[in-house]
Amino acid sequence: MNTLTYLFQTAVKNFWSEKRINLLTVLTIAVGLLIISAFALITLNIDLTLKNWSGGFGLVVYLKDNISAEEEGLIKNHFKKDTDITSVNYITKEQALKELRQTLGSATHLLEGFESNPLPASFELKLKRESLTPAGIKEKAERLKQFQGVEDVQYGEKWLASMDSLSKGLKVLTVSLGSIILIALAFVTYSTIKILFYRRADEIDTMKLLGASRSFIRLPFLMEGLFIGLSSGIIALSALFGIYAVTTAKTAELIPSIKSFAVFFPPAAYPVLPLGGALMSLIGSLFAIGRIKY
Amino acid sequence: MIQFSDVSKFYDNEAALSDITLTIEKGEHIYITGPSGAGKTTLLKLIYAAERPDKGTVSVAGQDTGKLKQGAVPFLRRTIGVVFQDFRLLPNVTVFDNIALALRIHGIDSKEIKENVNDVLASIGMKHKAHEFPRHLSGGEQQMAAIARAIVSKPNVLLADEPTGNLDPGTADTIIKLFREINLRGTTLIIATHHDALFKNTGHRVIYLKEGKIEKETKD
Ligand SMILES: Nc1ncnc2c1ncn2[C@@H]1O[C@H](COP(=O)(O)OP(=O)(O)OP(=O)(O)O)[C@@H](O)[C@H]1O
Ligand SMILES: [Mg+2]
Repeated sequence: MNTLTYLFQTAVKNFWSEKRINLLTVLTIAVGLLIISAFALITLNIDLTLKNWSGGFGLVVYLKDNISAEEEGLIKNHFKKDTDITSVNYITKEQALKELRQTLGSATHLLEGFESNPLPASFELKLKRESLTPAGIKEKAERLKQFQGVEDVQYGEKWLASMDSLSKGLKVLTVSLGSIILIALAFVTYSTIKILFYRRADEIDTMKLLGASRSFIRLPFLMEGLFIGLSSGIIALSALFGIYAVTTAKTAELIPSIKSFAVFFPPAAYPVLPLGGALMSLIGSLFAIGRIKY
Repeated sequence: MIQFSDVSKFYDNEAALSDITLTIEKGEHIYITGPSGAGKTTLLKLIYAAERPDKGTVSVAGQDTGKLKQGAVPFLRRTIGVVFQDFRLLPNVTVFDNIALALRIHGIDSKEIKENVNDVLASIGMKHKAHEFPRHLSGGEQQMAAIARAIVSKPNVLLADEPTGNLDPGTADTIIKLFREINLRGTTLIIATHHDALFKNTGHRVIYLKEGKIEKETKD
């Protein structure tokens, strides 16, 4: 057994002999990590959901009843040149009316007062997902409105804008909350290791008098900090998975489709929590031990 | 080997040692004696750099301890075995592990540690206490464990601060014999004690301290 193994064993022993304070620290850090990761997971899910929904968005270009064939041709030409547009669907006045009748169902009599078809013909445009930014769509809509023969252009303007700011806001919140919590977690380990270090001050003095090097003294404490961080991360990850599984199962009773779009982090991201916890704890421990003086 | 030149050490403006000049040769067997508070422990601490002189210089194996870099201190201490007056055993590890610690600090491997620790425990008749914790030992047994830890790494210099204070005369005798053997193998041996029976009529050099000063030096 070499020195490193011995120091590792010492760290395990110390961790165990102070199990109460260590367990408390682990749980505190696990809760912190759980909050961060839950936020990240919610953000990820909302983001994906928004992306899926916005895929169905497009522009509807309503045409004037008196539009000329020439004007219509110019508009169609414009669609062809715009590579962001993936599909163009022409809806005649009659089709629009038919669709409306279907939607109204038994309430069709509402339409009986009209002598002629009041609905305009329209183009329904589908756009590439990448170009579905609120600003981009707005610009396109404004351009189309300039065309002769166009009555109006509609798009899910408010929807898109609010989804976009929601997604951005969530990301900012997750990152800033995450950083604050991470720093707090480093402080939690800092104070625990500081306490443990002071509690063993006598032993440390003895070891120094026997000629122990700095790393001989420091390493067990750093390893202890590392255990704290690692186990917190593992606990947080398991808890997050448990909560996710239970929540989606419960929600699925109300909204069955939730199963098809709710996602968990990919396995490649699993080590992030334990490693992140370990890193922050290690930093906390390093500061807690400070400079060892002889 | 060890040289004090005009050394003073103050605690809160009170001199614990003043103007000590003393040379101890390699392989010597020397006693430091004097009443309580005379400065015996302080003198030993200056040797293993637990204290630095406030005036004058202390040199150990050619190194000025007052100028020693922080990182060099552990290396100096690894060449010196110390039996502390208050034992300084780690409370939460066994006698075996307490003694082994001195070797682990040297980076020695487990197998060799086991052999050496068992040898030393056998030489002081403490083998049966190897797996006890210090708090389960009598005062004398704790002192024996402290002695074992100081000698197990075969240091160049052995400092023993009141090493027989808790021992019965018979055991004290055994320990002094053991020390003598260690000294004969070349280890410089410095014993601080007010127990004059240890050095009376032995012909060893004795330094008498009083109120921090060397009062006299004899070869008893
Ligand atoms: N850390 C300290 N802080 C303040 N004063 C100290 C300290 N260590 C020693 N002293 C003082 O220095 C003087 C010498 O102490 P020292 O321990 O060297 O005496 P000693 O000869 O070993 O005594 P004893 O025989 O009781 O062990 C004493 O007056 C003591 O009070
Ligand atoms: Mg003393």
